[in-house]
Amino acid sequence: MSPYIIETGGLTRSYGDICALKPLDLQVPEGEWLSVMGHSGSGKSTLMNLVGGLDRPTGGTLQVGGENLLALTEDGLARFRRNFVGIIFQQHHLVPYLTAIENVMMAQYFHSMPDEAEARHALERVGLGHRLKNRPGELSGGEQQRVCIARAIINSPKLLLGDEPTGNLDHKSTIMVMELLKELRGEERFTVIMVTHNQDVAAWGDRTIHLDDGMLVREERMNCQ
Amino acid sequence: MIAVKLIPHLLAALCLLLVLLRCFASRRKSVLLTSVCGLSAGAFTVLLLRSMPVVSPYLLLKSLLGVGFLALWGVSVAVNYRKNAVALDKNEGGIVSSVAALAGTLLAAFAAGGIAIAKLSDTALATFPPVLLLLVVVIVAVIVGGGATFLEKQLSPRVTITPVGMVVAVVALLLFSASSILRLDLFSPLSMKVMKGVHDLVHQSMESVLIPDHVFVRPVVWKYIGFLFGKEVGFWGGMVIWFTPPVLIALAVSSRKLPSVGHIRQGAQRRKLLAGALREQRLQLLLPLFSLCVLAGAAYQSSFPTVEYWDPKPIPVVANEGGMIILPKKGDILLEDGKIHKYLFKQKEREARFFVLLTPDGQLTVDLDACAICKPDGYGQAEGSVICYYCKTLIPLDTVGKPGGCNPVPIPFTVKDDAVVIDALTLINTWGATVQATTRVKEGGK
Ligand SMILES: Nc1ncnc2c1ncn2[C@@H]1O[C@H](COP(=O)(O)OP(=O)(O)O)[C@@H](O)[C@H]1O
Ligand SMILES: [Mg+2]
Repeated sequence: MSPYIIETGGLTRSYGDICALKPLDLQVPEGEWLSVMGHSGSGKSTLMNLVGGLDRPTGGTLQVGGENLLALTEDGLARFRRNFVGIIFQQHHLVPYLTAIENVMMAQYFHSMPDEAEARHALERVGLGHRLKNRPGELSGGEQQRVCIARAIINSPKLLLGDEPTGNLDHKSTIMVMELLKELRGEERFTVIMVTHNQDVAAWGDRTIHLDDGMLVREERMNCQ
Repeated sequence: MIAVKLIPHLLAALCLLLVLLRCFASRRKSVLLTSVCGLSAGAFTVLLLRSMPVVSPYLLLKSLLGVGFLALWGVSVAVNYRKNAVALDKNEGGIVSSVAALAGTLLAAFAAGGIAIAKLSDTALATFPPVLLLLVVVIVAVIVGGGATFLEKQLSPRVTITPVGMVVAVVALLLFSASSILRLDLFSPLSMKVMKGVHDLVHQSMESVLIPDHVFVRPVVWKYIGFLFGKEVGFWGGMVIWFTPPVLIALAVSSRKLPSVGHIRQGAQRRKLLAGALREQRLQLLLPLFSLCVLAGAAYQSSFPTVEYWDPKPIPVVANEGGMIILPKKGDILLEDGKIHKYLFKQKEREARFFVLLTPDGQLTVDLDACAICKPDGYGQAEGSVICYYCKTLIPLDTVGKPGGCNPVPIPFTVKDDAVVIDALTLINTWGATVQATTRVKEGGK
């Protein structure tokens, strides 16, 4: 078995003439926290979508968790996403007419079956034990994002993807969310890939890669933070 | 025409092979080969036995079906004692299970092939030269096998069939197929047996305690006893015996313990395991429920058979001054054409219904259109036998004219000047005595 949870070779994704991702070689060891930085339109989301099995590459190889994503059928890809990946977006994508706990239970339902006690426990862990029955509209941005984290980790993913999850948050909420993620990662030992514009947020990771115009241009390792 | 008649049977055979193939998925090839051979062998055997009557092919098939139904009962009771038997690992590669799989497949396919051929009448079969017939049988068997293989490939690999599910589905499909053939139907004889059993039981217990009608037993109670003597008790009793096995199996499946997951710390893994077990359980309920529907179809077919009977309207006749009814053998009606010919004799308020028949072994016989034990609903003629409309018993034509059981009550007659001569008084008295006896028994103590 490869020591890397993610391994790409010459991975590309183009939309017609637009090459959103130029051939990319990337390896991510299991358990690493990788930050991805870059200007708007540099291909960060494209990379996340490929790694998370939401999109298919137009070229190259892509191995995630030992699975060759290019060889998977649509059903196989859906199963891969269900069992392997948790995703947090900048926009929360919570179902507006369901309560916080129902939003978490829906993720359980699509994975296997709902379990209310477990969902409640997950929300308590992200500090929302008192907001179980509130709908997303009644929660602050930071609280919404914490519901998303509870939802993303409820099925114990091996890989947590964050696409600018703190992009809409103020400084205080950002710190809270990052601390929560760090704590959860300490317990659950998942691998994190976090897209961000914010140098401070990137500094929470073990390593940062910089994309520009679909190319990996720079890579830096954080020794401490 | 032949093809239309066979369609339900071939479809049943197709489903049956599909179930077998999926159940023994690890031995697909040998199961397919065995079942095609079984289908052909069953058809050949029935054809052979029909052409040389040593053993009745119907008896053979009916015994097979009976054994199958008993086995189903056994299995359904057994799984309720050993719940995990439902999950019996079908892929264990032992020689015993391998032999059992192929033997079961062979028997089931044999029965299916035999039943399909039994559906066809002698006259329909006679239109084919024997060699062509054998060829057609093999070709049809191969087509059914191929169709089942194709369908099995389309079926999601997540659908698995346990041996128990296989047994209930296979037996139900065979019983369904057989229920459209009078001589193979099991449901009618079953409900008849129940009815007779209950009658005897009630009779005996009544007699043994010697309850006088009016002292202890109030009219309400008589109503219930009347029910026990009615035909319904046989029907409902038969239904219970008929439907219990799939219900028992469904109960065993749904009451099976789910895996214990308490020790699994990770919620996702725990839910996954539990959801998988629940899904599996729902899947295993599918075949018992399917079988329930199939058996209901069988009971329906048995209760409302679609067989066309030869049942002529009784022709009114009169007696001459000497009190004799004279029926010329070759008048407007040819008495000796092997069909039953019904007549109605009336004298003042009294009447009697009877028929004349030339049996296949050349005996002319005159009988009441009624038997000594049932309500006088009369008889219809189907291929090779007459059927009592009341109890659905089939009486082989050869035995018509012999007294006893549900056979038509024979009437003495003579043949004079190429005409059948019957004494009107004997006729009407025999009818009177028979009908009086049967209606008294049927009405019970009411
Ligand atoms: N569905 C799409 N169709 C066409 N072009 C797209 C699509 N998605 C993204 N792109 C293009 O690909 C490039 C990279 O996009 P993206 O990965 O979203 O950038 P980032 O997330 O770094 O801002 C951009 O030029 C964008 O216009
Ligand atoms: Mg983006």
